[in-house]
Amino acid sequence: MIQFSNVTAAFDGHNVLEDVSVQINPGEFVFVVGQTGSGKSTLLRLMYMDVMPEKGAVIVGKYNSQTIQTNEKPYLRRTLGIVFQDFRLMEDRSVYENVAFTLHVTGTPRKEIKKSVLRALADVGLSHQRNKMALELSGGEQQRVVIARALVNDPLFLLADEPTGNLDPTTSWDILQLLKAINTRGTAIIMATHNHELVKRMNARVIEIRDGKLIEVKDF
Amino acid sequence: MSLSYTVKESLSGFTRTKLSTAISIITIGISLVLLGVFAVISINTSRFIEMLRAKVELEAFLQEPISRDQINTLINRVKAVNGVDSLIYISKDEAAKIFKDEFGEDIKKVLDFNPLPPSFKIYIKPEFRTTTAVDGIYRELVALRGIDQIIYRKELLELIDRRTNTINNVTLGLGLLISLSAILLVSNTIRLAIYAKRKLIRTMELVGATWTFIRLPFLIEGMVQGVVGGMIAAGVLYVVLEYAARLVASDFSAYIHMPSVFYAVVVATGLVLGLLGAIISIVRFMRVAT
Repeated sequence: MIQFSNVTAAFDGHNVLEDVSVQINPGEFVFVVGQTGSGKSTLLRLMYMDVMPEKGAVIVGKYNSQTIQTNEKPYLRRTLGIVFQDFRLMEDRSVYENVAFTLHVTGTPRKEIKKSVLRALADVGLSHQRNKMALELSGGEQQRVVIARALVNDPLFLLADEPTGNLDPTTSWDILQLLKAINTRGTAIIMATHNHELVKRMNARVIEIRDGKLIEVKDF
Repeated sequence: MSLSYTVKESLSGFTRTKLSTAISIITIGISLVLLGVFAVISINTSRFIEMLRAKVELEAFLQEPISRDQINTLINRVKAVNGVDSLIYISKDEAAKIFKDEFGEDIKKVLDFNPLPPSFKIYIKPEFRTTTAVDGIYRELVALRGIDQIIYRKELLELIDRRTNTINNVTLGLGLLISLSAILLVSNTIRLAIYAKRKLIRTMELVGATWTFIRLPFLIEGMVQGVVGGMIAAGVLYVVLEYAARLVASDFSAYIHMPSVFYAVVVATGLVLGLLGAIISIVRFMRVAT
């Protein structure tokens, strides 16, 4: 479970989020919408504690922002999968190596790495592309690699920050379908987006950030 | 943490940032060659100074008349003084013989008697061969009953002390300067490596890599650069010193020839310089880069 209790987050003395409270349960699919600069990315960064709240508490599983130590943050992040808008793929490595990277980082045994990476690549439909260099793939395929990388350690929550921001409408819809499929297998998806068309086509929970406040949108 | 993965990442600089890695290794190599040459000069200067200090001895002339028993008692008292290593007793007859050896004349025949007093040649323990310590020994000895006068080469000792301090300060200063330059250059190379990998470092942080997992490869990279630079320097120093030893007379070649532990120290110094350079970069630049 992810829980925000009266969270205020600020940048340069300006409050981006003010007194925000929300709870996201395992297995949910949640859209976070709002204008550019409204605080969507900040909300996600608070979840993986890349940004710490000025006030209030963020609780992710057994980790609490008020008590977490710096050396515990890596272990918090291992319970999450993170998908970035700018992909953050390693250009000098193959698709397989990019996905395996997460497991190398977390010290997973080599034998287990191979099994998990092949399974994650199969999940995103890229098994046949595993030996290609990441930059040889199309934008949509690169985003699939990023999703595979986020999925490979079986996270409870997958945080996707504008995952379709650089993609055309058809590819964006494919990516969304992929996330939906992942969600049906039990992983909660929290997706920040400003693509209202995609949100309208999905029957999911929607949270809007407006003027630093969080609003549950019933009929988007 | 996967050790093989960490080592592989550490060595990636040798293929991904070839030029800066090569510059760093060459810089360490040159610095260590300079440090090595300084060390050879410094070691031999110390040896020479110790040789000069070993020549410093006190000559104590005894009051006359003095009996054999009194001399034996005095020998024991002199030996008991802190800092005295050993002594040689020179009787009146032996003193006359030395005079004859030095001047070619028998003093007893010239003066009809022997005016030369018996004396002790007193040798000092190595750790007491400084102006202050010898002065302390002198004051203790001169206070002993039976000793008339003590002479020693105080000026030589003072000169050695002054020169030793100057040589030590210059050697230390230059050694520190060269080491600092090497550390800063390694630090700069590692900084470039950190900058080149800033996106990777950020991704590592976000997928749950620990502090050690992210930084260890850079530390290993610095150490490897240091060791390679050290090995090159050790090789260059060996060739140069062995060649120089062949050019000079065999008496001097012993001074130039260095034991194998010297070359091991050069490589170890390279490792330490590389490690320090990497630590400086990680502390100063890692947070900024990410």
